[in-house]
Amino acid sequence: MSKAWLAIVAAVVLLPVFVRQAIATEIWIFAIFGLGLNLLMGYTGLLSFGQATFFGSGAYVAGYLLKYYGVNVFLALGVGIVVGAVLAAAVGYLCVQRSGLYFIMLTFALNQMFYFTAYQWTTVTGGEDGMPGIPRPSVLGFDIHRPLAYYSAVAVLFLLSLWVMKCIVDSPLGKILQAIRENELRAEALGYNVPRMKLAAFVVGGAFSGLAGVLYAMLFGIVPLESIGFVFSGNVVFATLIGGSGSLYGPVIGSFVFIWLSESVSSMWARWPLLLGVAFVIVVLFFRGGVVEAWARFWIWRAVRRAPDAVQADASR
Amino acid sequence: MPLVRTERLTKSFGALTAVNEVSIEVEEGSLHSVIGPNGAGKTTFFNLLTGQHTPTSGRIIFDGHDIAGTPPHRVAHLGIARSFQRTSIFPTLSILDNVWLAAFARQESWRGLAWRRADRYPELTRRALVVLGEVGLSEKAGQPAREISHGEQRQLELAIALAAAPRLLLLDEPAAGLSPDETQKMVALVRKFKGRYTIILIEHKIDVVMTMSDRISVMHFGSVIAEGTPREIQRNPEVRRAYLGGVPAS
Repeated sequence: MSKAWLAIVAAVVLLPVFVRQAIATEIWIFAIFGLGLNLLMGYTGLLSFGQATFFGSGAYVAGYLLKYYGVNVFLALGVGIVVGAVLAAAVGYLCVQRSGLYFIMLTFALNQMFYFTAYQWTTVTGGEDGMPGIPRPSVLGFDIHRPLAYYSAVAVLFLLSLWVMKCIVDSPLGKILQAIRENELRAEALGYNVPRMKLAAFVVGGAFSGLAGVLYAMLFGIVPLESIGFVFSGNVVFATLIGGSGSLYGPVIGSFVFIWLSESVSSMWARWPLLLGVAFVIVVLFFRGGVVEAWARFWIWRAVRRAPDAVQADASR
Repeated sequence: MPLVRTERLTKSFGALTAVNEVSIEVEEGSLHSVIGPNGAGKTTFFNLLTGQHTPTSGRIIFDGHDIAGTPPHRVAHLGIARSFQRTSIFPTLSILDNVWLAAFARQESWRGLAWRRADRYPELTRRALVVLGEVGLSEKAGQPAREISHGEQRQLELAIALAAAPRLLLLDEPAAGLSPDETQKMVALVRKFKGRYTIILIEHKIDVVMTMSDRISVMHFGSVIAEGTPREIQRNPEVRRAYLGGVPAS
């Protein structure tokens, strides 16, 4: 097991000791959401501003089934994943036909369409009030009502998601997606069906979003209308950029920074989004690769300061 | 039988006819050069062959099938690979990955596409390294492609095309922007691959073209104004007037 995995497992174990369990749970849920977006934004170079479409839809559909039909928790999670993936296939099919700004606006516009559907369809979604009363059924006989129990369940799913995403980005598909980000024309000339590969990235991203959506609904016992809104789509983009898009662990770190700031600092200081803004400006101006890049640069800087001669000798060799 | 044959291939952009009724035959295993002044339609001709552009009219017969209008990713699977005039690589990926991606694309089956680690395809990695060895880049395999020199990037450009194990290799000015030294290296490389692949070469350096080619087509304002062996081309008065200008016939 690599150092990064050890660090993540340690973080998973220690986090609930330092922050409130509900916040800790939310961090990993948001990280799953970010992992999905990162495949699109970081690896494929597709800035989707509509990921909440899949997050919210997964939450609504699974939430509805949990609330009115009392379905099994695994079925609810499965449904969330499938709903996210299927909608991503549909939305993605329309979006990958366009590129650049038009692509971004299309993801945003379709997100708004889903948002207003949820807003108007009050008999099912509860409209502005959201869909309350989402139960948290037990998992194979284990009661997950206690915060720590639910935290553990989410943490396991998060580690599983991270592992799946690692497999994908290390696979040929991961390389092909990066190739598309780097040079679409060349990727096509090599024999890759670029729109179809982009669609694959969309579907995977949608599945991750759907899963995160269901977990979110079960965490708070409600599907709020915001969960399908564009602010939520923007938040996951911000979080991923702050953490470091295009690196596997970036969205995980970003989610931690984002949720921790928004949940902990917000209770002390009402103007907390200001901090987020500053962090975002710093990232855009100095660390395009987010916290991950800042971290890497810090170690290089330290190595240079400690042993300038050795490094210089190394460079001149 | 020729491997590829175009019949009155035409491409118009509005009022401009970039490629005008071009008919060319390329024999299997030969090196066929296309020369002509800038704007003669050479690169557009390549873009038609690889599917980047759809012809306005005419046919492209590759291996007995009309492939005109086939999209680029399908053309690649037929075994037509190209290098680009303006270096077209994947800058942040490693040199090995650049070539590996070309090799993977031509696999019969894409088994393990989304789950097997990319470094667990030993046969592909080996093939990619062999190709890198042939163009002289194996020592830099692990470096990101953006970090190597322009000359080396041109070699990589060629390696990417070769890694696709092409039946037809289209080289669009492989020596573009190279120093005299680097040009010599590139010419030696192309010469090495002559006979192993069927090659269509676009090149501006006349001496290179004259010594290497089996046949030459001369394009001018979108049309082929002459075709023949290097010797015939050098003697052709129309070609000399339109293009060769001051180059003395030997």
